[in-house]
Amino acid sequence: MMDYVLSLILFIPLIGAALTLLFAKSRESARIVALTASAISFVLTIMIYLQFKSGLAFLEFQFIDKIPWMSSMGISYYLGVDGVSMPLILLNAILCPLTIIYVWGENKQPNQFFALILVLQAGVFGVFMALDFFLFYIFWELTLIPLYFLISIWGGPNKDYAAIKFFIYTHVASLVMVLGIFALYFSTGVNTFEIPVLLQAFSDIASPEMRVSIFLALFFGFLVKMPTVPFHTWLPDAHVEAPTAGSVLLAGVLLKMGGYGLFRVLLPMMEGLGPYRENIVTLMATLAVVSILYATFAALAQKDLKKMVAYSSVAHMGYVMLGAAAFNYMSVSGAMFQQFSHGLITAVLFMSVGVIQHSVHTRIIGDLGGLADRMPKLAFLMMCGFMASLGLPAMSGFVAEFMVLTGSYLTLPTYALVAMLGIVATAGYHLWAMQRAMFGGYNEKLGEPHDLATFEMVPMAILVLLIILFGVYPGSVMEMFEHASTIIPGVMI
Amino acid sequence: MAVDNIVYLIPALPVLAFVLTLAFGKKLPSGGGYIPILAIAISCIISILAFLQIYKTGTPIEVSAPWFSVLNVGILIDPLASVMLLMVTFVSLLIHIYAIGYMAHDPAKPRYFAETALFTAAMLGVVLSDNILQLFISWELVGLCSYLLIGFWFRKPTAAAAGKKAFLTTRVGDVLFLAGIVILYSNMVEHVLPHITGNETVYLLQFSTIFENIHHIPSGQLTIITLLFFGGAVGKSGQFPLHVWLPDAMEGPTTVSALIHAATMVTAGVYLVARTFPMFIASPGVELAGITIPATLTVVAYIGGFTALFASTMGLVMNDIKRVLAFSTISQLGYMMLALGMGSVIGAAAVGFAMFHLINHAFFKACLFLCAGSVIHSTGTNDLREMGGLMSKMKITGITMLFASLALAGIGIPFLKIAGTPIGTSGFVSKDAIIVEGTYVFAHMTNDWIPFAFGILAALLTAIYTFRLWFMAFTGKPRQERHPHESPATMTGVLSVLAAFALVFGMLTFVPFLDFVGHTYDHHEIEHLAGLGGNHIIDHHELHHIITEETSPIIFLLPVIVGVGGLLLAWVIYNRRWINVASIGNMKNPLFVILAKRYYQHEIFIELISLKFTYGVLALTSEFSDRKIVDGIINGISSFFIGGAEVLKKIQTGVVQNYATATVLGVGLLALILSFRGVI
Amino acid sequence: MLPVSYYLIVAAIIFSIGAYGVMTLRSGIMIMMCVELMLNSANINLIAFASHFSQVNGHVFVLFSIALAAAEAAIGFAILMSIFRSKNNVNIDNMNILRW
Repeated sequence: MMDYVLSLILFIPLIGAALTLLFAKSRESARIVALTASAISFVLTIMIYLQFKSGLAFLEFQFIDKIPWMSSMGISYYLGVDGVSMPLILLNAILCPLTIIYVWGENKQPNQFFALILVLQAGVFGVFMALDFFLFYIFWELTLIPLYFLISIWGGPNKDYAAIKFFIYTHVASLVMVLGIFALYFSTGVNTFEIPVLLQAFSDIASPEMRVSIFLALFFGFLVKMPTVPFHTWLPDAHVEAPTAGSVLLAGVLLKMGGYGLFRVLLPMMEGLGPYRENIVTLMATLAVVSILYATFAALAQKDLKKMVAYSSVAHMGYVMLGAAAFNYMSVSGAMFQQFSHGLITAVLFMSVGVIQHSVHTRIIGDLGGLADRMPKLAFLMMCGFMASLGLPAMSGFVAEFMVLTGSYLTLPTYALVAMLGIVATAGYHLWAMQRAMFGGYNEKLGEPHDLATFEMVPMAILVLLIILFGVYPGSVMEMFEHASTIIPGVMI
Repeated sequence: MAVDNIVYLIPALPVLAFVLTLAFGKKLPSGGGYIPILAIAISCIISILAFLQIYKTGTPIEVSAPWFSVLNVGILIDPLASVMLLMVTFVSLLIHIYAIGYMAHDPAKPRYFAETALFTAAMLGVVLSDNILQLFISWELVGLCSYLLIGFWFRKPTAAAAGKKAFLTTRVGDVLFLAGIVILYSNMVEHVLPHITGNETVYLLQFSTIFENIHHIPSGQLTIITLLFFGGAVGKSGQFPLHVWLPDAMEGPTTVSALIHAATMVTAGVYLVARTFPMFIASPGVELAGITIPATLTVVAYIGGFTALFASTMGLVMNDIKRVLAFSTISQLGYMMLALGMGSVIGAAAVGFAMFHLINHAFFKACLFLCAGSVIHSTGTNDLREMGGLMSKMKITGITMLFASLALAGIGIPFLKIAGTPIGTSGFVSKDAIIVEGTYVFAHMTNDWIPFAFGILAALLTAIYTFRLWFMAFTGKPRQERHPHESPATMTGVLSVLAAFALVFGMLTFVPFLDFVGHTYDHHEIEHLAGLGGNHIIDHHELHHIITEETSPIIFLLPVIVGVGGLLLAWVIYNRRWINVASIGNMKNPLFVILAKRYYQHEIFIELISLKFTYGVLALTSEFSDRKIVDGIINGISSFFIGGAEVLKKIQTGVVQNYATATVLGVGLLALILSFRGVI
Repeated sequence: MLPVSYYLIVAAIIFSIGAYGVMTLRSGIMIMMCVELMLNSANINLIAFASHFSQVNGHVFVLFSIALAAAEAAIGFAILMSIFRSKNNVNIDNMNILRW
């Protein structure tokens, strides 16, 4: 079974989606089918997680599933995992069932809603597992479609603008990326789309300009997805309009695809950049630091709680970029861990915001007030999420940020120190939002809110526990990342 | 059973208590308050056992386990940590007992006790850490608990705002501290790691590793690191200019003020400097009157001394009983920093002086706060102007507060020493030591009298505001309608214990304490470390020689003179009322205005830096550029295409003839071009 | 026998007249007639080449083309009739409802 377990993990959500869409017409049956499908995927993921062998060499993969597909062009159906992807697959497997539980009460066309979530999950699994660039690109694009519909059907008042902006931004970026992929394919001349082969062949490309162009094209694709300032404005708009489940998955796993691209494809190419390497590193680090500071200050100015959280995502993903740019094993493994940890943290934040939206029908921070009085459970969980997000130690975000900052200081001291300037402002907007929304006297205009329903509380509580668990004991996830980052060629140990 | 195997219980038990109280507190009597009391009591007993073992054997307890990467978690109990440990567990225990009575009527008791239990655990984490990262983690967690407990009555907008202010202000310091750790780590990797041989696992951020390898770290880097560490301490310990959060922090329950904002958390900054003292002493020196002293320690001394004086001036005019005490806390923390700064001349003995004052201060300040809590509990007001004549109604509170005030003002008998121990309140013993054996010796060696002046002037003001508070609250005529009553036994019992400690602890432990703590760093060879930075520090004998032979009696007399003088002055003004306060303390007096407005800190920090600069300039600019520039470009591109399409679609007239014309013309043109080029 | 180019010139002139009429005239009936002219010019060409090369294919095509022209005229006039019914004239300029 271990030969095709990845395919099982990948296709069970898709089958679940088809079943949900075709046969489960009522809300009750739709959500049960959806949850079952993603739960099976989760169990299988745990299984391979436990059997994962550490200590393999660079570009050595496990649980490989490989079937020739379009042989004449060297395209195959090729799946496999290593230390870079395994924890992210785990993250996806954790978040999707929790999201499905969280939206247990969805009323509007529930079967389509759950089916789209499952398709999204399958697409993300595919991106993290694919070892063939062609397949990678198919799954990369596959994730766009369900999210586009999640926004444009279940979204807020300005959903059309947001959905089309999201689509055009990421689609243009992935077209540039696919240009890069083709350039890589044709200029190496190895007649295969297999990622490991192409990565090794990259440095054989004769012209350094060509190598840099390929790098930049791929980089642009990942950059927009992460997103990095100045290509980030689709994200706040998409989040503001998206339904909560869409936001959770968008910030929780979809953005991680960009970072994953950095680690999987770009960092192994660093060695081959030759004379341009310094410039590329400067570019990456500058973008990272600008993202961190700019998004932090922009978050400070937001009046909409959800938009604020969206900007905090941009800032946090800036740490991923910074860690990658610094390119030593500590910073890179910190950046990988930041991806994992941010997925958990941001899910809690968006879920909290979703509950507020749902029960008092506004997200404008100035209109809220004293919610802790009527919604103590929400206040507790949201406080945990906010504290994690502002980088409180003993929560996973701190471990990641500490490693990124420490590692980055080793190679890029100035950038690391400048990035630190954002820390106080980060605390500032989180605490300001908490104070205005949660504390003070209750704003009676908001009506009688209900506290968390059980199906909302359970996923949030699980996530908070995981955040604390990984903050106190990063354990095997961190070990996988550490090993994966040590074996990248050229990385500073 | 060796103590080594159970020391991890010291922080673990309060964590357990936190979880239990949070989960089951609502169903238990007193909001589950007895769980943390029991847990902390056991922690306290283990701490005593650990202390006894160290005191007997002289070797520190070290337990360590790997965490991730090259980092570890571990416990280090050396003399420095052990005295702090005893103080924290003991004071925390007393305040928890007191809180059973004080918080009796609050419906949110479970949350209170859970948070204080978590706080105690985190504070013990700070004390016990054997590496700088773990210290930082606990340090942040105490900050979190402080935030939560200041905002305990979150329905009150001022409490929520004060919590936020406290968190953010200390966060400024925390970022500096974090930057210090980051820089230290990179230095350890770059300069120390290559020197480490052998297969033994080395944890880079462990104190023992750092101290043993200080000589590998470039001295310029050491200056930066220690300054950044001190920046963290400035934030946590309310030193100038990051002291602004501490007075506002009094919005929390009084027990919280006593526990967190007087006895334990705010002293974490002092503890940090004491903990990393070998790094401070090894930082490169500045020359002062022919003697080289460590630069960063001089900064510590000046900031500390200035804070001691600066905060006490504001303490003079506050009318909120807790704010007076808050400013007093800032001022006393300044003394501790001043004492540590004196280590630039007297070496590790300074750690002993600072820690001695820290412990004494914990007792008498906790006592003062709890007395204030007792007063507030019974009168229902914080305002000193509404109190008065409480002595007749609240005897125990009044007397215990008097003792604590005497300790704070540093009243004692000069010159009289029994077996090397001076006679006086504990505040006298420790403050006298700082002023005479610290600042005076510093002045003697360097001819720099400024720290000494800070110390003496602050001592004078301390005595004045302390007794102003006491006289206004407990003597004179009652100025209110309410009927105050003495507090329950759980509260007065705790007050009595603390008052007793405030009176005699200093005298009882003076010699052994300084001897014990002052030798914490013996095996790190402080003199040798000082030599790395080109500094020279005087040893025990030289110090003794200067004190006994080269010090004029007036120096010994001065602290007591200012103490008693301040007391008398307060008596004259606030008890006898021979001088009309209103004639000085009104809004026509510019000096009074500055003090009452607290040097316009609110205007500078909140309105100028936070609102105008950070929000008004940085945040709104980012928001503007996001909406107008970045999104403007994107929307501009899309509207360019949409607008272009609007124009181009006019070609579609819908008249078929036009299309036919266009076709004919097009074909004709094509034919023409092709024929010109000779194709047809 | 006249050279084939003479026929071609006549056909070209007729085609141009027809094309000009299609482009400029307003009346639907006139446009239909011009279309017929253009078709007939093509027919002339076909016949001319057929006789020139002594092949029968051109005649066959012309017969097709005449039949097609008749069908086209029938449909075209039917359309014009229905336009006339609704608009009371057959002016093509008024028929622009298919624009943007």
